[in-house]
Amino acid sequence: MVDEGFKRQINSLAKVIDELDYYQILKIDQMAFEEDIKKAYFEESRIYHPDKYYTEPLEFQEKITGVFKRVCEAYKVLSDPDKRALYSKLINGPERQKYLRFDLRLLKAETEKKEDEGSSPLAKKYYKMAKTAIQNKDFKAAKINLQLAIKMEPNNQTFQEKFKEVNDILASRKGL
Amino acid sequence: MGRAVGIDLGTSTCCVSIVKDGKPMAIPGPDQRLIQASVVSFLQDGNRVVGNAAKKMMIANAENTVYSAKRLIGRKYFSAEVKKAQAVCSYKIVEGENQSVRIRIRDRDYSVAEISAMMLMEMKKIAEAYLGEEVDKAVVTVPANFNDGQRQATKDAGMVAGLNVLRIINEPTAAALAYGFGKGLKQKIAIYDFGGGTFDISVLEVGDDVFEVISTAGDTYLGGDDFDDRLIDYFAERFMREHELDIRSSRVALQKLKNAAEQAKVELSEKLETRIHLPGIMEAMAGPIDLDYTINRNYFGQMIMDLIQRTFKVCDEALQNARLTVGDIDALILVGGPTKSPMVQEAVKNYFFKDAQANVDPELVVSIGAAIQAATLTERKAGALLLDVTPMSLGIGTAGGLMDTLIERNTPIPTESSRIFTTTHENQTAVRIKIFQGENKFYEQNELLGEFRLAEIPAAPKGEPKIEVTFEIDANGIVNVTAKDKDTGKAQSVQLTVSGGLSKEEIQRLKKEHTGKGEEVAAFKPDLELIE
Repeated sequence: MVDEGFKRQINSLAKVIDELDYYQILKIDQMAFEEDIKKAYFEESRIYHPDKYYTEPLEFQEKITGVFKRVCEAYKVLSDPDKRALYSKLINGPERQKYLRFDLRLLKAETEKKEDEGSSPLAKKYYKMAKTAIQNKDFKAAKINLQLAIKMEPNNQTFQEKFKEVNDILASRKGL
Repeated sequence: MGRAVGIDLGTSTCCVSIVKDGKPMAIPGPDQRLIQASVVSFLQDGNRVVGNAAKKMMIANAENTVYSAKRLIGRKYFSAEVKKAQAVCSYKIVEGENQSVRIRIRDRDYSVAEISAMMLMEMKKIAEAYLGEEVDKAVVTVPANFNDGQRQATKDAGMVAGLNVLRIINEPTAAALAYGFGKGLKQKIAIYDFGGGTFDISVLEVGDDVFEVISTAGDTYLGGDDFDDRLIDYFAERFMREHELDIRSSRVALQKLKNAAEQAKVELSEKLETRIHLPGIMEAMAGPIDLDYTINRNYFGQMIMDLIQRTFKVCDEALQNARLTVGDIDALILVGGPTKSPMVQEAVKNYFFKDAQANVDPELVVSIGAAIQAATLTERKAGALLLDVTPMSLGIGTAGGLMDTLIERNTPIPTESSRIFTTTHENQTAVRIKIFQGENKFYEQNELLGEFRLAEIPAAPKGEPKIEVTFEIDANGIVNVTAKDKDTGKAQSVQLTVSGGLSKEEIQRLKKEHTGKGEEVAAFKPDLELIE
């Protein structure tokens, strides 16, 4: 049987869970490394996984499943670098409360808003090549292609942002 | 209270296991064999034979013997897969209510879940005979890539068989559990699960007692059965060229050829060449004609190479989704009968640059994993914790034909996602929403799970009612839908029509018929009202 203290703990956690962000749910720092996120997910699973309480009363099982679902949700979002970056931005902004639970539509809207693939065929081509290079983690090639794309269309925001991103990655690599 | 077992309900074979004194083991059937053929043969006198004994009747009783029924479970009658099965099966496949598939035997129509229930009952019987006590609970496995309908149908089959289905778990996950349980591993493992009818690849990270599925991908219509079909086609074509007679036009002859092809396939795993000899398989004007051919391993290998290559495309997908390469995999585990074939082993080794784990029996490992999970759930002891994922994205159809994805594939389960719905005209009292599973951005290209209807919406100006609908995927991978009024918090009625499934009443009736007890059936999607 589950002891009364743990039951009380689950009850109060279930009450406040809507107020917590994913970092708080996984009990990690916002600056946590990727591998710490997985570690936290495993640790929290060892506490809240409903299979451990399969023989408990249904009411308790439902409550702990509710908590565990949030643990899974937190892990799903924070273990994906793109989702994590967007999520962190949103929860540290003025509308924190609204964005505590991640919605796939946000990511879609964000990428659609951001992406301006250029208007001239040549700029488009260079940008596409840059993106492929980024996927292959060849940031040097990405940088050259982005420079060429920017030459074609100096006012394109997407090109500028990607260029800055790639530069940052290259700089951080040099630092290592 | 009875015992809990683990059951691998396979396309071509079934296996039941238990954990005895802390050790998992497969249980032998009446013929002392650990695996039983997934075959049900209906006899003239109304009795039926199940398992290895039924397989022997596939020729004598071809039209009344059902095999590979799992290929049909949870599918809709008009699907391509059902059409494909119809072309090669010796039993009759007909359309049932609600686009479901039925199997017609001696003028009676059986649902596919019912055939699966007969297999489950046989497994239950085998376990009971061995244990000398009642078995009333089971963890049942399904291919990782099974959708909601197929999982639901499998769960229904368990209920009809009089089993409390503790959990539906994924076959590759079960295999991982059997391989890694109690070993304190810290590894990334790949499970290459090539079954009789389905192919799955799952990539897991094992951290001591935690088994996390990082990604899974599969093809629910690719398996060892396809190897047989290739051989059947090859021999039939050759026979046709020589004698201008089509073996496939006679159910009995086809069944004979099918058995011989399957045997040839198995023999080619051991030998470099095999002979297939069927005396008097067809009747011609001049008298009976024999089929007598030899085939060698190389030629057979060429015949099936494209099928094996197809599995690697699926592996690519799974690794990519896990953001891993083959080099990251610490251990490779082969599951399923077809992986016993040297051609498959060789190709898999070349793909993964790695030998598979040798101490794993590909035909028993799934049911053993299921038994470990059953013990974890029923015994209050520290067991293994499975962190599984949903194999397909879940979404709803929107105006304009696009699918609005609510839960992406490879999301850890259990999980849920909510959306707020409203009305589009004055005093509207009902809203219809279609749910789909699949990866295509157009919902029409994905699998329709069902349609639900939010009814009894209080009359109000358009756009005013706010109904929050929650889509849940539970630990079984089964979808549940609930709804509540966002303003009042009151539960909103949801009526769900599941495509191709059995109704609550039907399950009750069948359970009574097959087990003699129909009274206390566990609730079927409890918060939903089914429209018949």
